Amino acid sequence: MAPHLSNEEFFSSLTDLLSKTSQKARGSVFLSQKPLIDGVSTAAPSILVRATDGNTNAPNPKSQSKDGKITKKASSKDKIKFSTVVKVDDLEAFYTRYADVCKAGMTGLKKRDRSKRKAKGKGGAAKATKA
Amino acid sequence: MPYLPTSQAFLEQSAQLLEAYPDTTRITTKYHFPTETPGARAKRSKSQAKKAASTTSETTTTQTTSAPVASLTLKTYNPTTGIVLQYQTNKIAEVSRLITGLGKLASGADVASLGLSGAGGGDVEMVDAPAVVEVVPASAPAANANAGQGGKGKKKGGKGKR
Repeated sequence: MAPHLSNEEFFSSLTDLLSKTSQKARGSVFLSQKPLIDGVSTAAPSILVRATDGNTNAPNPKSQSKDGKITKKASSKDKIKFSTVVKVDDLEAFYTRYADVCKAGMTGLKKRDRSKRKAKGKGGAAKATKA
Repeated sequence: MPYLPTSQAFLEQSAQLLEAYPDTTRITTKYHFPTETPGARAKRSKSQAKKAASTTSETTTTQTTSAPVASLTLKTYNPTTGIVLQYQTNKIAEVSRLITGLGKLASGADVASLGLSGAGGGDVEMVDAPAVVEVVPASAPAANANAGQGGKGKKKGGKGKR
């Protein structure tokens, strides 16, 4: 497995991956986080953050088979994956940045709708009186 | 495994799960576009074109690309117990709140601190749902209200498609 990226490199790769996926409007991006336990130290563990496209951006094997070649499965070489380790002290700064990157990159999601927001505010008020 | 009705509920329950099994629990975030059949794609682009025609002011601001709406699924999974908690959204407005929530979970925040931050940082419906454990009946109607709103959103989408 490729070595972990620095936090900075991780963000640039993630920005790239998210924008590519959003542009294509197809495929997925998987992000995972888990504590990195070494079993020795009792201090709060670092967090391992991984990102992958799950090989969902690989070409469709059905469309490829037209030109005679039959690809049995998507080659795992095309899979994009990278990871980084976040130290406990950097967690807050990392996640602030992470949130920004995700928000900027996930353009395929629904934009904030002003008119709906107004309706929601009304609903909230009604709810408050009920409670 | 259940999809939780609100992001707040998801974060709280995840915090509890992490508290119970800090070593083995992991959180995954999936940003994904739906797979579409060609028929569904044609239908959607048609309805979008119709919408664009009716609201002329919006055509200038929004791109007229026929991209499907992506969605974001958060999943907290503990392999040893097999517990999965999920939350799904398609609103960009929720993303940064969710991710900062994940950050708090990663740094080992407990339920109480999450609840407080939710009340302070939540800009929409979380305001009157303080996550104190004793106020369970108060938070229950809040969850219901949210579910209702989700239903409304779905209905609107249905109309647009026709």
